[in-house]
Amino acid sequence: MPALYRASFGYLWRHPWQLVLALLGICTGVSVMVAVDLANESSREAFLLSMDTVTGEATHQIVQGPAGVDETLYVRLRLKEGIRSIAPIVAGYVDIGNITMQVLGVDPFAEREFRPYSVPEPGVGVDDAYRRMLTGPGAVVMSYRTAESLKLSPGDRFDVSAGGRVHRAELVALIGGGDGRGFDNLIIADISTAQIWLDMLGRLTRIDVKIAQDDETGIAGKIRDALPIDGQLLNAAGRTRAVTEMSAAFMTNLTAMSLLALLVGVFLIYNSVGFAVLQRRRLIGVLRALGITRRQIFTLILTEGLVLGMVGAALGVLAGMWLGQQLLVLVSRSISDLYFVVNVTDVSLSSLSAAKGLVAGLGATVIAAIVPAMEAASYQPRLALTRSVLEHKTGRLLPIIAIGGIGMVVLAVILLAVSGSSLVAALTALFLMILGLALCIPIAVRACVTVTAPIADKVGGITARLAIQGIGASLSRTGVAIVALAVAVSATVGVSIMVDSFRGSVSEWLGNTLRSDIYVGVARGTLDADLVDDLVRVPGVMDYSSSRRVWLESETGRTRIIALKMAPGSYAGIDLLDAEPQDVWHSFDEEGAVIVSEPYAYRHKVGRGDTLELNTMHGDKIFQIAAIYRSYDANLGAVLMSRHTYESHWNDPAIGAIGLYLSPAAIPDEVIEHLRKVSEGRQSLLINSNREIRDMSLQIFDRTFIITDVLYWLAVGVAIIGILGAMLALQLERGRELAVLRAIGMTPGQLGTMVMVQTGFMGLLSGLAAIPLGLLMAWVLIDVINRRSFGWQMDIMVSPEVLGTALVLSVSAAVIAGIFPAYRAASSQPALAMREE
Amino acid sequence: MNGTIFAQDDIEVRIRGVSRSFREGDQLHAVLKDLDAEFIRGETVALKGRSGSGKSTLLNIISGIDQPDSGQVEVAGLDITAMSERDRTLFRRKHIGFVYQSFNLVSTLTVADNVRLVLELNGVSEPEIAERIEELLASVELADRKNSYPDVLSSGEQQRVAIARAVAHRPSLLLADEPTGNLDDKTTEGVLELLDKLVSQAGSTLIVATHSARMASFCDRVLELHDGVLVAADGRD
Repeated sequence: MPALYRASFGYLWRHPWQLVLALLGICTGVSVMVAVDLANESSREAFLLSMDTVTGEATHQIVQGPAGVDETLYVRLRLKEGIRSIAPIVAGYVDIGNITMQVLGVDPFAEREFRPYSVPEPGVGVDDAYRRMLTGPGAVVMSYRTAESLKLSPGDRFDVSAGGRVHRAELVALIGGGDGRGFDNLIIADISTAQIWLDMLGRLTRIDVKIAQDDETGIAGKIRDALPIDGQLLNAAGRTRAVTEMSAAFMTNLTAMSLLALLVGVFLIYNSVGFAVLQRRRLIGVLRALGITRRQIFTLILTEGLVLGMVGAALGVLAGMWLGQQLLVLVSRSISDLYFVVNVTDVSLSSLSAAKGLVAGLGATVIAAIVPAMEAASYQPRLALTRSVLEHKTGRLLPIIAIGGIGMVVLAVILLAVSGSSLVAALTALFLMILGLALCIPIAVRACVTVTAPIADKVGGITARLAIQGIGASLSRTGVAIVALAVAVSATVGVSIMVDSFRGSVSEWLGNTLRSDIYVGVARGTLDADLVDDLVRVPGVMDYSSSRRVWLESETGRTRIIALKMAPGSYAGIDLLDAEPQDVWHSFDEEGAVIVSEPYAYRHKVGRGDTLELNTMHGDKIFQIAAIYRSYDANLGAVLMSRHTYESHWNDPAIGAIGLYLSPAAIPDEVIEHLRKVSEGRQSLLINSNREIRDMSLQIFDRTFIITDVLYWLAVGVAIIGILGAMLALQLERGRELAVLRAIGMTPGQLGTMVMVQTGFMGLLSGLAAIPLGLLMAWVLIDVINRRSFGWQMDIMVSPEVLGTALVLSVSAAVIAGIFPAYRAASSQPALAMREE
Repeated sequence: MNGTIFAQDDIEVRIRGVSRSFREGDQLHAVLKDLDAEFIRGETVALKGRSGSGKSTLLNIISGIDQPDSGQVEVAGLDITAMSERDRTLFRRKHIGFVYQSFNLVSTLTVADNVRLVLELNGVSEPEIAERIEELLASVELADRKNSYPDVLSSGEQQRVAIARAVAHRPSLLLADEPTGNLDDKTTEGVLELLDKLVSQAGSTLIVATHSARMASFCDRVLELHDGVLVAADGRD
C-alpha cells in the first residue's frame, strides 16, 4: 500500500472505536434494508413458486363466475371439441391441525401434460402415484418436505378440515419436482376428493389450458366458442400477477421504512468519515505541504469511505440475512392475514437482494463521504488549521444548507402536487421532505443554543453553559448526530400518529359496521343452506343479515364482490361517504345499483353516478354506482350489492357468513350455546359475539404493525449509535480541553455530568426537532402514502402521549449514548494537559 | 521577586524522597530519583533541565495530577500523596494555579468566562466574581477583549488570559510549565512582568519550568533537574 494510504488507514486502525462505530452505522442501515427486501422477496417468491406449481405448464385458464366452472364444460371441451391440452382443477384451502394447506384437486389422466411431478420413492413411478390417488376418497400425495413438516409418512391417515367439516385423508405417495419448495404446503388429491372437501360437487375452480404460442390449431377460438356466456379464457400469468399485485403497496411501504433506516445510516457515515477527516487536519496539512494535491486528498478520503462502505455493507448483508429470517415471520403472517395465504419458512438468499444492499451501502457511504472529502481537499498546506476556523466555516455554510433544505421541501410539495396517484413519487417526496427539514435542523440548533446558553448559565452555572455551548461550538459534529436522532425519532412520531389514527379510524369503523350481535361463519368455506335456516330460527334471534364475498375475474383483473342480505339494522352500519342514505338504499335494494368501497373508488376513479361493468351469467352488465362507502379492507377495494342483485346475475346461492340480531331480552351467551347445539355434527362453525369479532380484527391490525414497530426501533438503534459515535469523537478531539478542566479542579463527577448534560440536551433538541418533522411525516403517511397505497382516508389523531414519548425517547436515547462518553470524560487524565504538543 | 528573606517554618512545598519512573516498552525509565526539595512560601523558583529531564513530571506531582511511585509531597502543610484522587482534585482547585506553554484556554468560552470558570468552581459569589474578572482583565490589559473567544487573540494575549485564570482564585502555589515557550522576546518580557506583578500581589509561590535564561533571571532561585535529582543551578544541591 502506498505510504499516503498507509498514513490514512493507519489513523483508522489507531482509533478502533471510531472504526467500529462507522462500520456499525453502515452495517445496521444496510442490514435493515436487506432484511426487509429478503423478507418481501421470500414471501413473494414462495407465493409465486406455489402459484407456478399449481399453474404448471398452463398458459391460460378457464374461469366462470364466483361459484366456479360447471364440470360439464370440461367434458364438452374434451370429448365434443376434442381439445386434449386441458386439465380440470379444484383448488382451495384446508386446515390440517392449525396449519393451512392449499389443496389441488386434479384429474390424474389429464395432469401429466401440465405438472410434471417426479416421485422420489424407489420403484414408484408417477403413474403409480396417480393410481394410488384414485384408490379411494381421501387419498392424497404431497412433497417430502410437506409430509415431514406434518410428521406424516406414506400410509398414514389424518384429518383435514374444510368449510367447517372434517374429512379423513390418507397420504398414499410422496412427490417432488424442482427443489421441492414449490410443493410446500400443497396437497394433491383426485378431483372428486377435492370437490367433496371444498363443497364443489359438479363444479371446478378452473380449467387449465395449454395453448401453443402460434395456436395453429385454433384452440383458443374453439374454447371461446364453447364457453358459456359468463365463462372466460384468461391468461394464466396475468391471473398470478393480479393476485401478487394486491400486496405490492404493502411491500413498497415496508421497503420505504427500511430505506429510512439507511437514511439515518447515511448521517452516521457522514459523521464518522467527517470526523476522521477533522481529526487529521494536521496530517492533511502536512501532506498538502509535502506536495500532495487536492485531488489526491479527495481521492484518498473517498477511497477510505469506499473501503469502509464495502466492509460495512458486506457485514450488513450478512446481518441482513439473519434479520431477514426474523422479519420473514412477521411479513409472511401479515401478508397471509391481509392478502393471500403464504407459507414460507426459508429466506431465499437472493443475490439480487445482497447486491442491492451492497450498492446501497456503498452509494450511501460515497454520498456521505463526498462532503468531508471536499472539506479535506480544501485544507491549506499548513500545519495547523484551527478547529474554530473549521467550525466558523460550518457556521457560514448553515444558512446555505438550510436554504437547500427548504428547496428540497418545496420540491417535495411540487412533486406531491403533480404526481397524481404514484406511490413511488409520494415516497420520494416524503424522503425529500425528511431530508430537507433535516438540513434545516443545524441552523435551528445554533439558534437554540445561543438562546439557551445564558439560561443554562443562570441555572447550572458555567459548567452547564460549557455543556450547552459545546454543542454549538462543535456543530459540524453534534449537528449531524442531532439530525440523525431527530430523523429516527420523527419516524416513530410519524408512524405512531399514523398507526394511532389508523387504529382509531378502524376501531370506530368496526364499531359502526359491526351491527349484529352474533356472527356465524366457517373457516374457508360456505355455510350449509339448511343449517342457516335452522340457525336463524333459534330462540332469541330476531333478524339476520348474510354476506357472500367472492372474487370475480376478468382480463382487467380481479374484483371483490360482496353480496349482502341486509337486516333493517344493517343499513346504518355502512358509512356512506358521498350520498345520503335515502338516496341510496332504494336503488341498492330494488334497482340493482351497487355501492363501492373507498379504495375501489380511489383506484378506479369512480364515484356516485358512475357505472362499472361486470361479467355476469347474462354476459357483461353495467351497474350503476349509488355511493361510495368507508372501508378499511386491505384488498384492492370491493363492490357491494344486494343479495337479490347478486343472485339475479350469478348462479351462486352460497352464503359465507350470517349476522344475527337478537331480541332485547335474549342473552347472547345462551343464544351462542344454542347455536352450537344446532350446528353440532353438521358443520363446525365460527361463532363470535360482536365484541369478539371486533377484538380479533384489531388483533390482526396490531399484528400487521409489529413489523413497522420493529423497523422504527431499528432506526432509533442506528441513531443511538450515531450519538454515541459523535460524543466519543468529540471527546477524542476535546481530550486536552477536558484534561485542562480536570487540572484546574473539575472533579470526574462534574466532568461526567457535563457530558451527560450535553448529550441530554442534544437529545432534547433532537426530540423537539422530531416533533414537527414527525407531524409532517404523519400527514404525508396518512393523507398521501396510505391514500395512494390502499385508497384509505382517515382523520389525523395526534395524542399528546405520542409527542411526550418522542421527547422522552429522544432524551433517553441520547443519555444512554452519553453514558460511556461521560465515563470516558470522567476518567480523562489531567496530566494530558501538561503534555505539550 | 528578588531580595526576599525566607523563614524555615514557612515552607509551601516539601518534597521527600520522591521517585517516579515510566515504562517504555520493556524498559523502566526513572525520571525522578529519591528527590528532596523545599519551596518557601512566596518565593519564585525556576526549574531548568533538558527536555525530558522530568520538569513537567515534577510539576504534575506537586499539583497532585500525578502520583509518585514513592516519597511524600506536602503542599501548604498537607500531604497530598496521602489524599484520594477526589481530594487532590479539590485541593488543586483551591490552592493551585496553572500556566501552560500552549495556554490551554477553553476554546468555547470567552476570555471573561475562562476566568469565571475557576472562580465558579471555587464557589466564589457572583458579585465577587464579576469584580475579580474586571480587576484581573484590567491588570492583564485585556478588559476590552473580555467577550472575545481565545482563538481570535494573539499568543501573548492568550497567555495573559491564562495567567489571569491561573491567579483568579488566589492560589497559594502557581505552577507554570514553559509559560513563555511559545512567545517572542517582546511578548515574553510583558508576560514575565505580569507574572511578577500578580505573584507579588497575591504572595503566591511560583515554580516555573523553563529553558529561558531571561525567565530564570526573574526568579529568586534557579534549580536544575539533572539525572532525576534537583541541584542548584549555581552548583549547590
